[in-house]
Amino acid sequence: MVKKIEFESYKEMPIRPMTLGSMMWNLTGSWRNVRPLYDFKTSPCILGCPTNENIQRYIYLVTEGRYEEAWKTIIESNPMPAVTGRVCFHPCMTKCTRKDYDEAVDINAIERSLGDMGLENGGWMEKSKAVKKEKVAVAGSGPAGLSCAFYLARQGYPVTLFERDKALGGVLRWGIPEYRLSNELLDRVIKQILDSGPVEVKAGVSVGTDVSMDQLEKKYDAVFLGLGLMSSRGLGMDGEDEDGIEPGLDFLRKVNSGERVDPGAKVVVVGGGNTAMDVARCALRAGSEVTVAYRRTRNEMPAIAEEIEEAEKEGVAFHFLAAPKELVRRGGKLVRVIFQKMELGEPDDSGRRRPVPVEGETIEMEVDRLFTAIGEQADLEGIESTVETDWDLIKTSDETGATSNPKIFAGGDVVTGAASVVEAIAAGRKAAERIGRMFAGEPEPEVEEPKTVGIEDMNTDYFTRSKRNLVPRISASEAKTGFSEIKTGYTREQLASEAERCFSCGVCNFCDNCWVYCPDVAIARHEDEYEFLYDYCKGCLICVFECPCNAISIREEGK
Amino acid sequence: MKAPRIPMEELMGSGHLACQGCGATQAMRFALKALGPKTALTIPACCWAVIDGSFPHSCIELPIFHTAFETAAVVAAGIKVGLEMRGDSETTVMAWAGDGGTYDIGLQALSGVAERNDDIIYVCYDNEAYMNTGIQRSSSTPVGAWTTTTPVDNYKKEPKKNMIDIMAAHSIPYIATCSVAWPEDVIAKFRKAKEIKGTRYIHIFTPCPTGWKFAPELSIQMARRAVTSHVFPVLEITEHGQKIEVWKDFEPTSVRDYFKPQGRFKHLTDEEIEGLERDVEQKWRRLLAKEKMMASIPGME
Ligand SMILES: Cc1cc2nc3c(=O)[nH]c(=O)nc-3n(C[C@H](O)[C@H](O)[C@H](O)COP(=O)(O)OP(=O)(O)OC[C@H]3O[C@@H](n4cnc5c(N)ncnc54)[C@H](O)[C@@H]3O)c2cc1C
Ligand SMILES: Cc1ncc(C[n+]2csc(CCOP(=O)(O)OP(=O)(O)O)c2C)c(N)n1
Ligand code: SF4
Ligand code: SF4
Ligand code: SF4
Ligand SMILES: [Mg+2]
Repeated sequence: MVKKIEFESYKEMPIRPMTLGSMMWNLTGSWRNVRPLYDFKTSPCILGCPTNENIQRYIYLVTEGRYEEAWKTIIESNPMPAVTGRVCFHPCMTKCTRKDYDEAVDINAIERSLGDMGLENGGWMEKSKAVKKEKVAVAGSGPAGLSCAFYLARQGYPVTLFERDKALGGVLRWGIPEYRLSNELLDRVIKQILDSGPVEVKAGVSVGTDVSMDQLEKKYDAVFLGLGLMSSRGLGMDGEDEDGIEPGLDFLRKVNSGERVDPGAKVVVVGGGNTAMDVARCALRAGSEVTVAYRRTRNEMPAIAEEIEEAEKEGVAFHFLAAPKELVRRGGKLVRVIFQKMELGEPDDSGRRRPVPVEGETIEMEVDRLFTAIGEQADLEGIESTVETDWDLIKTSDETGATSNPKIFAGGDVVTGAASVVEAIAAGRKAAERIGRMFAGEPEPEVEEPKTVGIEDMNTDYFTRSKRNLVPRISASEAKTGFSEIKTGYTREQLASEAERCFSCGVCNFCDNCWVYCPDVAIARHEDEYEFLYDYCKGCLICVFECPCNAISIREEGK
Repeated sequence: MKAPRIPMEELMGSGHLACQGCGATQAMRFALKALGPKTALTIPACCWAVIDGSFPHSCIELPIFHTAFETAAVVAAGIKVGLEMRGDSETTVMAWAGDGGTYDIGLQALSGVAERNDDIIYVCYDNEAYMNTGIQRSSSTPVGAWTTTTPVDNYKKEPKKNMIDIMAAHSIPYIATCSVAWPEDVIAKFRKAKEIKGTRYIHIFTPCPTGWKFAPELSIQMARRAVTSHVFPVLEITEHGQKIEVWKDFEPTSVRDYFKPQGRFKHLTDEEIEGLERDVEQKWRRLLAKEKMMASIPGME
């Protein structure tokens, strides 16, 4: 403590008035009635991401060129950024604060760049060993199963991964086409995950039939079911088992395994989701003239917007408000499809407006092949008796994947119905964490509503408007002639420039403003953080106001 | 963490006696970071004579000479000559005065120093009134403002005196204006001034929450809006008064936005504000025209 200098008598005083000490004895903190405090919030993007990647953090690390740490930050919640960086529908970007200012940060493109770096730098992935005794069986090697296996192995639990197919990956392998996600890249991603920890693979083994649930429950301490949706839903029309009708998923499976396909001159794809888009674009690449028929309008299409745009650019035609009504065959061969014209009526449970037929109005189309892509179904053979189900899906009590059977957990499409890669990853991770807590005898943590921020909470004086760095891609005319990857990814310069666009919402990005502007020198700047010196802070709150990121909050003294 | 934006070294410490959110205090902190420890100051009567601390204490780790209200410039010049005579030509001597001490009572001493081109840095920290004695008008107080000597029913009708032109008329080697909202700019200008010999005049805009009647957290916001609304142009005058460079690379904001949080302008009617906005814009245009005109003089391109 610096002491105030006090003179007992004039004799102690210097001859001339002069300074003998600093003012640090004067604790001006007592002037204050409100105090600033560092109080980081959860950036909206993080809340938008189903697996809650710490987006703000890794983008900040990118701005500092700390790529390895950035990659490791993603890996905390997503083991395959190279995959999601290519195929995710990026709900994070819909939440990005920057969209309320100019354009959202291209989080997805940044994620991809980091994902690719992680594959090139094999040493970044930390290895884990089987240090725990409890064993877990994971059924299904789609994103849900892979994620669950990865996060269990990282905790030290030995995992056996059962997959019905010969090759791993689920939809990532046989659903999503090469031009969006190549099997070669997927192989590298899966190898990295499997090599990182104690995961044993049993491919070509179907759980519920080849090996019974009973056997698994006896041999393993917990079972995770990430079975996905295996079969295309039918149209429910007369003659749909005859010539010319093919489930879209079967077609994709053939295309993805390199089989030669010849869908015919005129193809119609019925549906509006990702499957429909992929089937349409693969058929286009096989040389067909392709039309997508959807019973609602473009606005209601569940497919990723970017997919729809690309399909359109490549030359896929769209026919909205049309539902197949009748199949016309000549000599047993499909020649024409009659569509019922629809219109949008009242909203249904999902909030989308329900399509209703316009009486008497039909459209005819010449068709050689009709692909169905109106939804997929789970196949729970040998499993439905062990867990409670809801229609064809497995019922869970919360997002950690707990089922009616205390030893069995589930996640991904088999729980949610057709959803997304990142949601499956989140479900796998959360189940792995839940299973870990169960083995360790830990209670489920209380989840608090996280505090977040919006553009109105930021000091926009510190931001300047800028355009998003567009991801380089090959032209649509080149793309449709083959299966080479369309998006080629950022250069390092683009990556750095896009990362700089992040506002670091609710979290300090070390801009120095608070430290620079404090009139009372009441903020200490340390190696990796700042500290309020409350002995001196007068509570002017300049630091709070000037923080661009809303990383500082206010508390009344005495409360 | 990234490299610090401004030097880490602190020559001004905590515990000082400035009000919450004082801009004059930020100004001193930035200036000293730029000038470094080989600096001596003169401070006349003004807020800073109090902020500094009570005898025998000071929040500044440098020699300060407290001078009479009207003499900051000459005392600084005298100290500089004294140091030179003792063989110290390295120490920078800086007179640090308020707007009252600069525009009004200290003007003749400053004019004398500038005319002789004495080797000091003279700083006017401008809070636009006599704040230390209770918010009386100075010739720096802007037109339209309330002070205790220009009360609401008779608010200030005279425009702020053009101190920059007065200094330019002295043909000194360096004149700069800056605002505490841009610390890097403040520091760069003090560093530049430090390397020049002769009289250097730096005018730094320092909002005063107490005297202008706004919430202290808006202090930097006011320092920023004053500049972006063209009320306080940030500029440099070099070549002995012959070259002006005005900073224009910012998104302009309205004068109204700048006035709004300040109680000293609260009484102004919409028409009065519009009139003042026109004044500000006219002055800004004249300044830009002058910058261009001076650059077009043969030999000055
Ligand atoms: C064509 C298509 C394109 C898509 N495009 C995108 C996209 O671009 N972006 C996006 O986010 N989402 C997309 N989706 C959705 C996304 O692929 C799925 O939501 C996601 O793959 C679900 O992951 P999962 O792990 O739950 O299931 P799946 O990926 O379906 O994996 C399930 C795995 O379990 C195996 N399995 C099933 N039953 C058994 C059993 N009894 N025993 C052992 N193994 C079994 C299967 O063989 C499969 O490998 C698309 C879906 C399709 C069909
Ligand atoms: C000759 C003389 N007259 C009057 C005063 C009283 N006085 C002390 S400080 C001050 C006002 C200073 O105003 P300014 O220079 O603008 O500095 P500020 O206090 O606003 O920072 C006055 C009038 C004095 N000290 N000496
Ligand atoms: S600006 Fe950055 S931190 Fe904020 S929501 Fe967007 S990506 Fe997240
Ligand atoms: S700027 Fe300084 S004095 Fe003001 S509230 Fe923040 S820490 Fe306290
Ligand atoms: S002002 Fe800057 S350094 Fe201070 S908390 Fe906010 S982001 Fe961090
Ligand atoms: Mg003053």
